[in-house]
Amino acid sequence: MSLSRRDFLKQSLGTSALVSASASVPCFLARTAAAAQTQPPQDDTILIVVQLAGGNDGLNTVVPFRDDLYAKNRPTLRLSAEKLHKLDGDFGFHPQMPGFYKLYQEGLLGVLHGVGYPNPNQDHPHAMRVWQSADLRPDASQTGWLGRAVDQIYQPEAARVPAVYVGQIPRPFAMNAERAIVPWVRSLDQYGLQGDDGQVPPETPHAEASSPDRAPFQQKTAGSSPAHDLLPFVQRVALAARATSRQVEAATKAPAGDYPRFQFAATLRTIVQLIRAHLGIRIFYAELGGDEPGGFDTHAGQALNHGALLEQLSESIAAMVHDLKRDRLLDRVLLMTFSEFGRTVAENGRRGTDHGSAQPLFVVGGKVRGGLIGQHPRLDDLESNGQRAHTDFRRVYATLLDEWLKIDSRPVLGSRFSPVAFLKT
Amino acid sequence: MLSRITSITIGIALVAVCGIDARAILANGNPPTARWIPRDTVAILEITRPKDVLHLALESKLTETVTHHPLFKQAALQPNFLKFQAGVHFLETQLGTDWQTALKKLTGGGVTAAITSKGVVLLIIDAEDAKLLDQLHGLLIGLAKLDTANQVKSTEYQGATCWELADGQVHTVLGGRFIAASKPEGLKAVLDTKSGSEGQSLLALPAYQAAKKAAGEEAAARAYVNLGIVKQLPGVQAGLEKNTNPVAALLLAGVIDALRQSNWMALALKIDEQTLSLQTTLDGKVSKNSELAAFARSEKPDAGALPNLAVPRRIAGMSLYRDLHGFYAAKDKLFPERTSGLIFFENMMGIFFSGRDLTDEVLSQFRPEIRFVVAEQKFDPAIGVPQVQLPAFALVLKVWRPNEAAELMEEAFQKAVGLVSFTSGQKGAPGFILDRPTYNEVRYTVAYLGKPRDAEKGPLPLRYNFRPSLACLGDNVVISSAESLTRDLIDTLKKEMAALPKALHETDSLVEVNATHLASILGANRHALVRQNVLEKGISQGEAENNIDLLLGAVKLLGKATFTLGQQHDQLQAKLVMTLNP
Amino acid sequence: MLLDPQNIDPAWAWAAYQPDAERPWDLRLAGHLFRRAGFGATWPQLQQALRDGPAKTVERLLRPEDDVAAFNRLYDEFERSIDPEAESTDGLRVWWLRRMMESPHPLLEKMTLFWHNHLAIPRNRPTHALSLAEHLQLLRAHALGQFDQLLDAAVHDAAMLLALSGGANRKAQPSLDLGRTFLEELTVGPGHYSESDVQGVARAFTGFMVVRHRLRYVEREHDDGAKKILGRQGPWNGHDAVKIALAQPSTARRVVAKLYRWFISETEPPSDSLLEPLVAGFASEHDIAKVVGTMLRSNLFFSNLAYRQRIKSPVEFAVGIVRGMETVVNAEPLGHELAELGQDLCHPPTTKGWIGGSTWLTDATWIRRHNLAWALFSTAGPYGGKLDPWAVARKRGGSAFEAVGRFLADLYLQGDLSPASREVWSRATARADSAKANPSQGVRTLAHVVVTLPEFQLA
Repeated sequence: MSLSRRDFLKQSLGTSALVSASASVPCFLARTAAAAQTQPPQDDTILIVVQLAGGNDGLNTVVPFRDDLYAKNRPTLRLSAEKLHKLDGDFGFHPQMPGFYKLYQEGLLGVLHGVGYPNPNQDHPHAMRVWQSADLRPDASQTGWLGRAVDQIYQPEAARVPAVYVGQIPRPFAMNAERAIVPWVRSLDQYGLQGDDGQVPPETPHAEASSPDRAPFQQKTAGSSPAHDLLPFVQRVALAARATSRQVEAATKAPAGDYPRFQFAATLRTIVQLIRAHLGIRIFYAELGGDEPGGFDTHAGQALNHGALLEQLSESIAAMVHDLKRDRLLDRVLLMTFSEFGRTVAENGRRGTDHGSAQPLFVVGGKVRGGLIGQHPRLDDLESNGQRAHTDFRRVYATLLDEWLKIDSRPVLGSRFSPVAFLKT
Repeated sequence: MLSRITSITIGIALVAVCGIDARAILANGNPPTARWIPRDTVAILEITRPKDVLHLALESKLTETVTHHPLFKQAALQPNFLKFQAGVHFLETQLGTDWQTALKKLTGGGVTAAITSKGVVLLIIDAEDAKLLDQLHGLLIGLAKLDTANQVKSTEYQGATCWELADGQVHTVLGGRFIAASKPEGLKAVLDTKSGSEGQSLLALPAYQAAKKAAGEEAAARAYVNLGIVKQLPGVQAGLEKNTNPVAALLLAGVIDALRQSNWMALALKIDEQTLSLQTTLDGKVSKNSELAAFARSEKPDAGALPNLAVPRRIAGMSLYRDLHGFYAAKDKLFPERTSGLIFFENMMGIFFSGRDLTDEVLSQFRPEIRFVVAEQKFDPAIGVPQVQLPAFALVLKVWRPNEAAELMEEAFQKAVGLVSFTSGQKGAPGFILDRPTYNEVRYTVAYLGKPRDAEKGPLPLRYNFRPSLACLGDNVVISSAESLTRDLIDTLKKEMAALPKALHETDSLVEVNATHLASILGANRHALVRQNVLEKGISQGEAENNIDLLLGAVKLLGKATFTLGQQHDQLQAKLVMTLNP
Repeated sequence: MLLDPQNIDPAWAWAAYQPDAERPWDLRLAGHLFRRAGFGATWPQLQQALRDGPAKTVERLLRPEDDVAAFNRLYDEFERSIDPEAESTDGLRVWWLRRMMESPHPLLEKMTLFWHNHLAIPRNRPTHALSLAEHLQLLRAHALGQFDQLLDAAVHDAAMLLALSGGANRKAQPSLDLGRTFLEELTVGPGHYSESDVQGVARAFTGFMVVRHRLRYVEREHDDGAKKILGRQGPWNGHDAVKIALAQPSTARRVVAKLYRWFISETEPPSDSLLEPLVAGFASEHDIAKVVGTMLRSNLFFSNLAYRQRIKSPVEFAVGIVRGMETVVNAEPLGHELAELGQDLCHPPTTKGWIGGSTWLTDATWIRRHNLAWALFSTAGPYGGKLDPWAVARKRGGSAFEAVGRFLADLYLQGDLSPASREVWSRATARADSAKANPSQGVRTLAHVVVTLPEFQLA
């Protein structure tokens, strides 16, 4: 699949940018770029993956309050039914998740029960690698699942990588690609061109020959065809970079919604700004919980810590959804959360829980089929002291790739997985 | 480093050259400089006793050492330096005196620097010898006019002749007082304030007066900072709002809170032969009930930080008065986000303390008197010396119920050592062996590494710096990285227990540094420091060696430094005292 | 003679370039040579190359007169100071970058980087600073030596085996990953081996274990039965597997083709017939320096088919800027920044190494290159203002602004600017001129403009 020049310009410039070329941009390119402005924008779908590091306690996130075994297994950690945000007669969200509750009521949030994989691993780095590589033998994998997806849609000629990692901890393996250099964004400031005065050179026609004392490399009998000339490509990259810088700057100046004062909320706001900048980024990766082993690893004194993290998760995402709605962007965006594993059904002696297996995933977006999806795994049929998974996580990935992003999942996942019905049809 | 030294020297000399102009004499009837400075000044530095400062700069051992250093001598041969020296010599001839004397006479009345709310820098120098100032000023203006590239302009304003040199800086000389400003409007403001009513001047500002009083009369130099304005700066504002580092929150205990409440800050520099002391005072009241600071305060008048523990080869001692239980109970106020580090910490504490509640069942064991000791350590030649030599460090806690705490700590300590051993075993590295020897009638626990394997001959890995140990005696718990330090602390604590230590008055933090031992440990790691310098500065090994040797020399000059933090008359006061080696 | 890349006379292509009226030996060709055979030139190096001519310059690049051994000994010593237990290789990366900036033998570092890219130890595989330091020293020791020795040493190296899942290669469970990578990436290449060859190679390497970062050979874990590797049957071990793979012409062709892409052009893959003369010699002699020397002296190298037919990697971009300013900078922040630009030294993304070429440049990496150059030339910040183009220009060129602008364009681009870039450059020079009051800062800005011109991104 090769891009036409027009496509390239359209992609690299987006629609809004008036390309007022400056310092290092030759004028003829600026003219061509301006000519490409009339193309409509591409309304590509966008995926945001949120990693919850440490192993989230799904049982205290989506609480089966009617199940006696829940109360029995959680002598100190159980959440009383009155305080929960009740989804139906059986389940309720943790009290500190009012934002998620509202999204649920609006039909914008789906809960995928019991997601995992056979013979689950309970070691943090290993299990995280399984989810990030989508490979049950993750040591053999050199690239992450999103890295492989990016490699599939990345066109080096377009000079733009359609994926970004936004976060404060080192780049996750999920984004490791063979070809594409996926940017790591810590702050949008890094899109600014330092020391650039934005001066526009005058629009004067250029003779092909440069000044006589610097005659171009003469070789009368030999000449490389224009196809082999790298300079126009580099000039196009310079142009694209300048356009990107301007578009991001404009997006940061545009009014943003109200976000809570959490680092995670700031991350999501950055992502929304990048979406508004129309850079053609289709895959975003964000994280909550930080470095390994991660904040969700609540072995001791879980109640307060877990509640605080769930509040950050729920309120930040709710704020993001609200912000996206303002620009009618919500139908283009789908957010999915995951953790490397769930936690044990029974609490340990330290008012905490240990590494488990299956977990609920959250999917959020305008095109998401809201509600509880799939069966809640039973609490009397456990695997490694955690809940038993009935939905392979790679089925969720395959649905996101094939049906949402329209990227062939087979080269990414190695084989075909049947989809999970969490998208509106 | 070299360039910094030369620039300091040149800077001092430049003050002299500027000072050429100045000569106002308070004795001659000029009012205090603050009378001429506008009210809304952001910060002002007043050197009220310039001779003391000059004495330190020109005649102290520090200057002598620097000027005798081979690097300095080398730099002194550079063309620019020679040119500079020639200039100085020319002025000396013209003025008929040596530059040191000239400098003292020109600045003897006091030096004042200020930053106005519009960002203009003001410099006011009162000369002791007004005639010398006029002479020098005339000479320089004459020289400047000779240089055709320089356009010297002069204008009259409020009866003063104002000179503007090419770069927009302006100055004037009024009755032995030299006044310079980085922009013309700055000088205008000074002249306007001078002829206006006293109420418009800084001198009449109550905050300035209060700060001056806090600084004390005997200060050689003092500064006043208008925090009301400074706090508006975006960077400062963000800095005051952000407070996510638990260790900083524990150590600073209320400093940030006090800054938020304060309108002004006063600094005072005192010089006393070999001792320099710098005192900072904030007017903001730290409320006793504030969760951000309450853990460092006590209602009891005799409570406070204990004196530091004296052990041989001590590099540094830190003594704090912090109620850890109160501190941790307020963690949500102090560092709002649950970082993965915090949660990991709680997980580990849950294991070490067998599921006890960290706040109510563990931290409640400790009294607020906390001490920390860092000392140089000696290595057993039979085992070898690590490639990078770390000092030994120890934490000394006091507990309410010694018997209960001893068992709690012993169990946690052995678990932690076991965990370290287990994880090093996973990497194929040796682990610790636990022992319970007795020293000076105290039984303590120590964990040590066996003899290095053949593959580890030569410089040893970092872990050979550690012989973690735990000792409980009386109501003290010692957790130390090295056995030798544990033994020294047992001796010291036994003596202290016999004499009952008295808390320091109005002090919640005390840090003491002994530069001799600091220099010694730096010297032991000279190679590592040189390598780091090669890398960071992008220089050759030879240059890096010179740099590090100069640094070591400078550290050796500093004898002792003491830093205290506490409250006096409801004002937060920080004090740094440095004693130079004679 | 028309130069059709698919139809070049190999005899002409690989014959040594002789300057003539049509292709005179000038600043441009000298700059081209220093970019490819190193990380760019200083002004005195360019001037000396102009005096010496191409033959002598290439010779000096291959075998410098300076005491290279002493330089490398000093740096080996520095590298040994890395914490022997560290897993992070950031410390190592720093010393390597420093070597690139400072080595009297830049071609050796360029070739070490080439082999690091070919024998790639991928990101997210277990690493250990000290064994990786030894691995790089091994690559350096053989970088311009014998390929057979290099390959044999590299696949019997702790860091390499660990990274290729061969760190515990037991008789009962031979590492197929190792076998596959050996054939697919290190030797014959795709299409030249079968699954049974993968089995054979994996079994040949059984018995090697990495224990506490050291390679051990455990006799009883070696499978000494007969294996079939690339059509040859026998009780092969790892050394035999290397010899068998080397005997395959596809191995030599693969390495020579990679060298072609590294030194000559990445825009057009060479035809087999063009490479054939080099492949034949390399397959029998394994002499790396000989192939590299032939390429660097060749007509093809000094033709339009090679000139600016590569995109600079981040390392080439940054080290080139620094070298031109005749100094070194703190490599610690630089190492991190280069990783952000896509080239994390010591950690190529996969066993395929860095794909490079047009993937180096995207909008995001362009902005980072732009800002890195700005930081390098800034007086403050992590690089401490050590690059002082005004001082270098005054020492080497002149102090008039027109002369300084010309000097910087000649130093970094040998004056070969497209009309559009020339316009940008001349405006920047004029701006620097009008900022006379602070020449040092003005020239820093000007130097930044020069290294962010599109031409400077080409090697």
